[in-house]
Amino acid sequence: MPHLSISPSCSSIWLICILLTIHTHAKDALTVPQVRLSADWDTQQLTISWQGGAATTFDLMILRTELNETVFYETVNVPLNQASGQHQWTWTSVEPLECTSLSIKIRSRDGQTTSEWSNTQILQGNDLPSKETFQVYPQDRIVPVGTNTTFCCIVEEGKVFGSILYGNRVINTRRLSRRSYAATIVNQGPSTRTGTNVICYDDPKTKLSGSVVFVGYPPLPTDFACETQDLSSAVCQWNEGRDSHLYGKRETYYSVNKSPQQKRREISFNRWDGNWTLVAVNHLGQYTLTDFAELGHRVHLVAPANLTSVNRAWDTTVAWQWKFDSYSSLALECQVELTSNGQKTKRTFSGVGLRSVVLSDLHPDEDYSVQVRCGAQENFWKWGNWSKPFSFKTSTTDTSVAPINLTKIAAFKSGRVIATVIAKNNAGASQPANIPLRLTGVEPLTASRAVYVDGGFPLYWQSDANATCGYVVEWHDTSCMSDCPVEWIKVAAGNTNVSVESVPSSLALLSTRQQGSNILLTWGEIPLVNRRGFILGFNVYMSNGSQFTLLANLSDRGARNYTVKGLPEGSYKFTVKAYTVAGEGTGAPASITLEPYTDWLILEILTSLGITALFLVIVTFICYKKRKWVKKAFYPDIPEPKLPGDWSRTPGPLDVKPSSHSVVHIVERPELDSSKEMLVVIPEEDEDEEGQGIGDEPVDTDEPASLRYYNQVVDERPIRPRFPDSSASSASSLDSGTHRCDGSSEDQQPQAELSVNCGGGGGGYRPQMQPRAQSEDMGLASPEPFLEPQAAIAGGYKPQSSWHFDSPVEAGESAGRAPSLGSPTSVASTEFLLPGGEEHAEEKQQLSSSAATWFTNLLSSTKP
Amino acid sequence: MSQGGLWDSQLTQVLKLMPATIMPREETWQLGLKSWKQRKESFTADVLASDGRLVSVPPPSSQLESRDKLWRLHSALLQCRSLLERAIAKEEEELGGEKKADYETQRKLVKDRLSLLLINTGELLKSVDGAGGPVSQRGRIGDGPTSVFEMKVWVYRIFKEVDHWTKTAITTLQAMPTVITKERARTVRARATRSARR
Repeated sequence: MPHLSISPSCSSIWLICILLTIHTHAKDALTVPQVRLSADWDTQQLTISWQGGAATTFDLMILRTELNETVFYETVNVPLNQASGQHQWTWTSVEPLECTSLSIKIRSRDGQTTSEWSNTQILQGNDLPSKETFQVYPQDRIVPVGTNTTFCCIVEEGKVFGSILYGNRVINTRRLSRRSYAATIVNQGPSTRTGTNVICYDDPKTKLSGSVVFVGYPPLPTDFACETQDLSSAVCQWNEGRDSHLYGKRETYYSVNKSPQQKRREISFNRWDGNWTLVAVNHLGQYTLTDFAELGHRVHLVAPANLTSVNRAWDTTVAWQWKFDSYSSLALECQVELTSNGQKTKRTFSGVGLRSVVLSDLHPDEDYSVQVRCGAQENFWKWGNWSKPFSFKTSTTDTSVAPINLTKIAAFKSGRVIATVIAKNNAGASQPANIPLRLTGVEPLTASRAVYVDGGFPLYWQSDANATCGYVVEWHDTSCMSDCPVEWIKVAAGNTNVSVESVPSSLALLSTRQQGSNILLTWGEIPLVNRRGFILGFNVYMSNGSQFTLLANLSDRGARNYTVKGLPEGSYKFTVKAYTVAGEGTGAPASITLEPYTDWLILEILTSLGITALFLVIVTFICYKKRKWVKKAFYPDIPEPKLPGDWSRTPGPLDVKPSSHSVVHIVERPELDSSKEMLVVIPEEDEDEEGQGIGDEPVDTDEPASLRYYNQVVDERPIRPRFPDSSASSASSLDSGTHRCDGSSEDQQPQAELSVNCGGGGGGYRPQMQPRAQSEDMGLASPEPFLEPQAAIAGGYKPQSSWHFDSPVEAGESAGRAPSLGSPTSVASTEFLLPGGEEHAEEKQQLSSSAATWFTNLLSSTKP
Repeated sequence: MSQGGLWDSQLTQVLKLMPATIMPREETWQLGLKSWKQRKESFTADVLASDGRLVSVPPPSSQLESRDKLWRLHSALLQCRSLLERAIAKEEEELGGEKKADYETQRKLVKDRLSLLLINTGELLKSVDGAGGPVSQRGRIGDGPTSVFEMKVWVYRIFKEVDHWTKTAITTLQAMPTVITKERARTVRARATRSARR
């Protein structure tokens, strides 16, 4: 306490001192709280109690002890509880209180004046070093759907925190202390029967700990109602309504009128109360439903029991018993479900204390099954339970009426048949009944045209006063001669009209025929038996797949044909349908394929041939007129070689005579016929008689025409010396289809240069040798490899290389003789007769080229 | 005939007559574990496998005779069934149960097959010792699970035990005839040796 003294110079100091004194006194007046803690671990609530004197305002501070983080720091107004003499304040933690230790301290406040902080009170968490285990909090929490829950994981001592999973989802965490980590799940969805797992792993995953949270709804039952079965007691039932998603011991429990809680959704009372209150409770809340009703309005009958029947032919009496006698005075309405041959029908009966019903309109000797249920006729609440199915069979003892059994034809009387009908069953036969039938084949009565209405025609007759059971209308086809099916309709008494169904007629066979470019459809008359009405005409259709196109409507009933015109070539299908007032019949289909008109085709062919012939004539004429120009353009004269010496003095054509022995080349090709494989010996006579020997040659009898033609050409030509004109000399090779090699003799030496020395590799005069490459190509193309060297050696006299393509070397027999005709082929050519196995495009080219050459030769031969 | 000889011959006979169900296919015993996993518990308790066994029996030894092996096996299977029954009861109390649900159906199937196996191994033991000796039927009870999560892990471990011991049963029973034959031969040789010495 400061000492007071008066000194003017220190007035300000005194003022300060006074204020300090006042302040110190005020501070002394605020009591430092004495704090006590109380924790509710389930609700995560911390109750703080303290003795704080007269103050009502306090500063509260809550920190996480380990990390010294402030969780809560506020000034709160907490009045003194007079009963306990303490201040008490409750704080709810976001995290479970087990997660980490909390430090709490309080100080009193009076305006700006505060007391000292109280001693820190610590609420110990489970993350203390002494609690080493792996833990997750909270455990087994039950929360409503949509809430947020914070979980914490306390890692085992010595382990490193890994992750927290909510279900399968990893969630974000925050650190609360050295070992404690927290994670908040927001807006939780409903969990499954076994709850949602919250798993905490260490890192790496060697251990785990976890918790299960159950997320669900408060109860919400529906359809609560009480009813009676015995007219005295009550049974109350309800539905669960919304699924609470809580099961097992967390399931909803129910209580009606404060009865013991139960899980079942039905409860019975011995007496009818009239007022009922259902309370449904689970961990998340409760729900109440009430019901009010008089007993007579809530009658739910039990199922009829012990069903019996008394069976007759056409009806049966079904009886049953009631479990409760009280039903005897109750007006009941009962439903009987009758099943026969899979068909179910319901019939309703009513009566006081109903115990039996008569089921009429049954059929004799039939199996039936019935089920019965009933309800209160007055103030109907709901149908009772169905009885068990009960089966019975109607009896067969009644023979008064039975299905008709036509047993015999009794007699013929003037075109009428009397049928005797006897009904039979197990009990015997009925009295015979005579039924007059009209004999078929008899001329029908005068037909009158009926009016077709709604699929048939109406038939009227005058009522007969004697008719008591109604009428039977019978009919059959008038055209039917024997074994006719009779159709009939039973008409109830009082009715004097009936509608008989009628079907339009079908058509007789349809035939089609082509007439030029048209199609003629013809059909026959419809037999009377098929008409089934008055035919009004015919419709002609052309069907295109499933679609019918109406071509014509023939209103002439006598029409029997129709011509379809203007159709292009192709296949067509036609259908002709007769129609009556009832509509069209089924129709008769017929198909036809329209072919081109042959007369025109022939005319076209003849025209084409005429034009072609005219063209050829014109071309020939022009060529003849311009033959000089043509020859100059396409076949200029080959300059004759200038020969030194006296060669020109040769008086006439040289006769090349072979030596006495003929040289024979064997040309063989396995796949050819024997006529082409044979050895050909060319006698001297044949060689001399050029022009006449070919046709007699035993070789190449397959192609005599071309050779003969060539010979004729040669015959027309003037005989010219061979040596000056190589082309003429080469022609000698065409007189035979065989290959010929002349052996060189002394007296023929001059000619030897024009011919080829077959045996000698050097050969004779070769103005232009074939390139080696070509020879190789030919050899490759040759079907007989062993011939290749021979061909290469022989080479052949080829006066001009441009004639190479005319060389028969590559012209096989199958390619025809044309390429070789007129070509300046060497007499020594060994390839001329080689059969060409393959037809190449090149050969075709040669063919055309050779044809041009032949044409040129032709022009040359005509040269005057 | 000595007690062992009688036991051997009877065991061989019973094994021959034993219904095929005593030798079930191996995979049928994994139903419990499979169905537990199919329940989509979002975790497997494999990481807890080192937490010790729930079934306590004497340690295995190659020195044990066939009869002792069978006793050991029967005891373990009895504990398995006891644990499984407790697990079923606990699960139904905590989580309720749908009788027609897959998990519940397969859980019952495992229990039924385990019971059948126990009946057959019990018959084998009876054939040896008449009424049979005392067999520990209770598994290690411990404190039991205190939370739903602990219960889930506990049930998983019980299924692991059932899986382990039923597989052991199959192996043991399959090897039994061969072992018996060897043991019988050994017995015959011993007798022959003793006779020769006399």
